[in-house]
Amino acid sequence: MSAPEAELSADFAASSSSPAPVRALPRLPIAKALMALLIAGLCIVPFGLIFAISLGHKVEGAAWVWGFEGANYQRFFVGAMWPDEVSSMYLQKLGYSLYYAVIASVLAVLTAFPFTWFLTRLSRAAQARWLIFLLSTLSLSEVFVVMGWDILLSNKSGLPMVLRELGITDWAKGNGLFDWARSQGLASPRDFKFKTSVFATVLTMAYLVWPYAVILLYPPLSRIDQSMIEAARTMGATPARVMRTVILPTVRLPLIGAVLLLFVLLLGIYVAVSVFADPAQQTLAISIYDEVRGATLNAPFGAAQSVILLVTAGAFLLMGQLILNRRTT
Amino acid sequence: MTLTNRTITRRTILKTGAASALVSSYGMPLLAQDRSLKIGSYGGYFEDSFKKYVYPAFTEATGIAVESVTEPNSTDWLVTMQQGMAAGTVPADLSLFARDSMIKASRIGGLLKPLDLAAMPATEKFDPYFVFEDTTGKIGVGAMGWFTAMVVNPQEVDVPTSWADFWDTSKFEASLGLSKNFNSQFLDIVAATFFDGEATFATRDGIVALVEKAAEIKPNVALWWSAESQMEQGMKNTDIVGGQYYYDVAGLMKADGFPIEPVFPKEGNPQDYGSWCLAALSDKDAEAAEFINFSSLPSTQALMSRNIGTAPLLDTAMLDLTPEELAGVTGTPAIRPAYQAYLDEETFIKETWDKMLAQA
Repeated sequence: MSAPEAELSADFAASSSSPAPVRALPRLPIAKALMALLIAGLCIVPFGLIFAISLGHKVEGAAWVWGFEGANYQRFFVGAMWPDEVSSMYLQKLGYSLYYAVIASVLAVLTAFPFTWFLTRLSRAAQARWLIFLLSTLSLSEVFVVMGWDILLSNKSGLPMVLRELGITDWAKGNGLFDWARSQGLASPRDFKFKTSVFATVLTMAYLVWPYAVILLYPPLSRIDQSMIEAARTMGATPARVMRTVILPTVRLPLIGAVLLLFVLLLGIYVAVSVFADPAQQTLAISIYDEVRGATLNAPFGAAQSVILLVTAGAFLLMGQLILNRRTT
Repeated sequence: MTLTNRTITRRTILKTGAASALVSSYGMPLLAQDRSLKIGSYGGYFEDSFKKYVYPAFTEATGIAVESVTEPNSTDWLVTMQQGMAAGTVPADLSLFARDSMIKASRIGGLLKPLDLAAMPATEKFDPYFVFEDTTGKIGVGAMGWFTAMVVNPQEVDVPTSWADFWDTSKFEASLGLSKNFNSQFLDIVAATFFDGEATFATRDGIVALVEKAAEIKPNVALWWSAESQMEQGMKNTDIVGGQYYYDVAGLMKADGFPIEPVFPKEGNPQDYGSWCLAALSDKDAEAAEFINFSSLPSTQALMSRNIGTAPLLDTAMLDLTPEELAGVTGTPAIRPAYQAYLDEETFIKETWDKMLAQA
């Protein structure tokens, strides 16, 4: 719910508060208690458990035991060999988590916006068909989507094959473009290659959340008052000027909201990064899984990284909320 | 397809879950016999083969019924065993553990029960390396072996004779697939090829030297795989033309017509093996002893090699395998991984290796 809507409902609640409370009161405590139970059961207890584990102690060569130490948090910032050696590896991984999530969420919203805009201009039947199609693509799991892109980018049956068959690979070998691609890690001596690369990672991540972007932008765009656009056009504004001065300001808040939501969703993406990103460019989600499920059985350090990722996501949401609030006042 | 099934589930990904655990317990008919034994093995093709070839032969020989239990992999199974112990249950009487997980279980303590080898005469023929003893006694007896091997696409490159060839950028630039995990034995390959083998792991300086040598191969690596299926697809799609993969699976892929050649270079390939271990809370000591004895017989070792593709742990001269059958499952020399160092210096090796990969 956007901020203006929230204000609206608050106003409504205030204006209708005098006659209503007698009937509403008895139900309220039960509903509140149920809500509190739900939040406690689904959020606070699991988070508390993860936080408690993150204070645990790793036994070298065995598993881990409960404890009360901050060593895992210290390791995140300076590495396990501190003070002999300082490592910012885990900060780098957090950096990549943010990097991919920002680029992919902005990319998804930027490309979904024109699509959704034209979608809302279609007939209602056509709109319904498109929305059903988009909703059904959400049933594809991350694993399935990544498998698909894995094949689409593979040497034998994907993009490198297309470039080879079209003669583009040979053409690029002649003019130095291919050597540049090799220096960028985008080619082997024989063919172009797009796995592993930032390109493939961001592409797949943006693809994964693209239907969400459309579904998030559809309601505000379809609610835009047609008469405002007509008025602007009548007064001589070009379509580009209408987009800039009428439509974009109207949907600015939903646009920022959509980017924020997709950003948080993408912070935890696992399969796409593990398949398409080089180890030098992998994210915290991979590192967490490696610790918890990998051979070291170091759940405490995995938990500490989870807590930091969660706090980071929370900080970004809070920042977004502050920006949104400032824009509305 | 069995190949995919096997490669994904055997050692890496928890894919089967509770449903298949349920199915597998129905897989063997629970006959109304007095004596029975719950045995865990890695789910998928591996466990299916055990249920098809090994357990029926054992039941026929001894009259002991086997209930098969699915292990996702050794490490996850260790967690399940721990939780089972805490709850007072026995997930499986006998479990299959890779050597590092077995040593880990021994260090955690209280999970495994010492075995009475006097009741298993067939184990006398094993190399002592395959019988693991800790302070409580002999807690694990070798079941079967497997190799991590050099593989290449013979249509694209000449078959190398040494692991050192993989460091040659003029031949392998951006063309190899290696495992991303610090303990997946690539460091053992480096140690055997350029250093003094396991001895190099004894000091931290030695370990750093190994990791620095491994770093030099990075320009030649196109794929650092974390799941076996990634490597399988990479070789099939020719995204890569060589690397490090499981010897037996590579052999199966080759048999299916894919351009892959499993190779024993002059330095050899790392050999890992699984052990049978008895749960501390199990009271099936006698039945377990009969099964381990059965599993250690030359005829059973050959049966497993022939039908499951595992490497036999006995001297191959004792087995009735043909030279072709032997070449499909084993080779020489075998590099023995530095298990002890991987556990004693777990955090140090992992972080040094990860930093090398992350360039941090």
